[in-house]
Amino acid sequence: MAGRRDGVFEREPARRVFAQELKESRVHFKEGQDEKSPSFILLPTGARCNRVFIAGTLTEKKKQGEQNMFYRARVVDPTGTFFVMAGSYQPEAMQQVARLEPPCFVAVVGKPNVYQTPDGAVLISIRCESITRVDKDIRDQWVLDCAKATLDRIESSAGTPDGERARREYTIDPGLFRKMVYEALAQLKI
Amino acid sequence: MDFSHTAERISQKITSHGHSVEKSGIEAKLRRLVDEFGVPPAEAERTVMNELAREFGLPVSQGSGGGGAVEQKSLAALANGEWVTVECKVVALTASPSPAIAQTGIVADESAAMRFVVWSRANAPHLEEGKWYRLESAVVDEYRGMLNLKVHSGTTIREVPHEGSLKPKITPVAGLAPGVTSVRGKVVQEWEATHDRILQSGMIADETGAARFVIWKEEGLERLNPGSVYTIYYATVDDFNGRLSLTLNSATVVPEEGDIEVNTGSESFQGAFVHLAPGSGLVRRCPVEGCNRVLSRQNYCPVHEIQSRYHYDLRIKGWLDNGEETREILVSRGQTEGLVGMSLDQARELAENNPLGMDEVFLRFREALVGRYLSCRGRQIDNRLLVSACEILHYQPEQLADLLNRAGGSL
Repeated sequence: MAGRRDGVFEREPARRVFAQELKESRVHFKEGQDEKSPSFILLPTGARCNRVFIAGTLTEKKKQGEQNMFYRARVVDPTGTFFVMAGSYQPEAMQQVARLEPPCFVAVVGKPNVYQTPDGAVLISIRCESITRVDKDIRDQWVLDCAKATLDRIESSAGTPDGERARREYTIDPGLFRKMVYEALAQLKI
Repeated sequence: MDFSHTAERISQKITSHGHSVEKSGIEAKLRRLVDEFGVPPAEAERTVMNELAREFGLPVSQGSGGGGAVEQKSLAALANGEWVTVECKVVALTASPSPAIAQTGIVADESAAMRFVVWSRANAPHLEEGKWYRLESAVVDEYRGMLNLKVHSGTTIREVPHEGSLKPKITPVAGLAPGVTSVRGKVVQEWEATHDRILQSGMIADETGAARFVIWKEEGLERLNPGSVYTIYYATVDDFNGRLSLTLNSATVVPEEGDIEVNTGSESFQGAFVHLAPGSGLVRRCPVEGCNRVLSRQNYCPVHEIQSRYHYDLRIKGWLDNGEETREILVSRGQTEGLVGMSLDQARELAENNPLGMDEVFLRFREALVGRYLSCRGRQIDNRLLVSACEILHYQPEQLADLLNRAGGSL
């Protein structure tokens, strides 16, 4: 977990998380009272998450809005779909999206946000900091990386405060995520 | 209660000043104070000592706390909160930071060195650099994790003769701790000054490790030459928010002949490259000797103003992230060319023939690097890695089998 020492800047790490797990996240909170304090979502496998790093296939991008134009993009991994957004507050990311032609492999760094629609459904979208075109080699590396990180979280969550909290807040059987990891890996060629 | 030891101690102190005194008399006075008047023994000792000191015209200890006689100690044996008597040499005097402080600097004996502070209110005699003094009833306290010797109005100071010269012990850089230390090392890096008052900052290294150093602007102080070896006597090592830093203002810096082996750093870190920071790509550097700072778009150097005869360089500044931790990495030209597959000349050509100029190089770097898995090795300071070797990682199929077993193991 990223600690904060005065004077030394520590960047929040980007969690590796599969789409299916991110989709199940509901709990979000802020550390500290300060306006600049980082905000987190709590992953069901028991880790706080301020930023994500994902790799997958960009399948669709859509320009929306007139005055405040923004891009909505869908990035697919072996377990599901990430919803990626790049708005006028992320001009660099928006320009990057503009240059991409789906379908292609991309790596995305961004911050997850929890939204509640008027009819009560919860949506998680990723506010894009950077999206770059990558090759299949990197996508496959990411699947391994994400599988390992997810298994690590499942296996270590029992002892940590965030892990305990996730167990209280989410009623999902951690075994389900183990299965998700297995199925994601099974799609890669040995 | 037996007062003979205490009496002996007092009598020795008086005798050491060249006076003679009856031990039995001292003992009687002590007994009277303790037994009849219920005075604590330590306070009784102080009372009797002061009474005799006044009688013989000796300096009187006015200290109100601590009490009792203090044994002479070596500097290395001092602990926070103690009242002490020491014999030490003033090895450096530094500018007083406040009118409340008459003198500050560094004292040393054979065992160690330490910062000292003489309060203005102490009305103490002016200490001279290079002389030995006996300080009685000085107070040891702690400031920013390092011990300090405080000279207050109750401290008696006497110059003492001392035979032989003082040879400071050289500490390996890896073994630095807050306090006053002497090191021998090579200036391996010079950094852009982050503050007006900084004359120079950078990194110094020996065979064991590296540490940052800073020299604050002060009259008569000179910058160190990058690449040269120095022996630095009596620098202060600060622990400021968990970072160790050598401040050389108090130090005597002696240039050394020749070169030494330095620890090139063996920290390594693997992760995804998640952010390319501004200032990466093609940069222009200040041509003034020993400066080498990166110029702004308008060719402005923070120190040497507008420079039109700059030279070009390539570098990467950015963040590696393994999902749990992050490292800021700094990659210099040699490694950068290999990672992005672009030489300095190619980058210059690209910048010259493109409407975006140097920004185009930055954008190419970003497309080539962000999202890639890298393995970097180099010297680490805090969470910044100064990369000396770096490679792009590739998919390793053998990991897949392991992970499948791990995930499937308890299905």
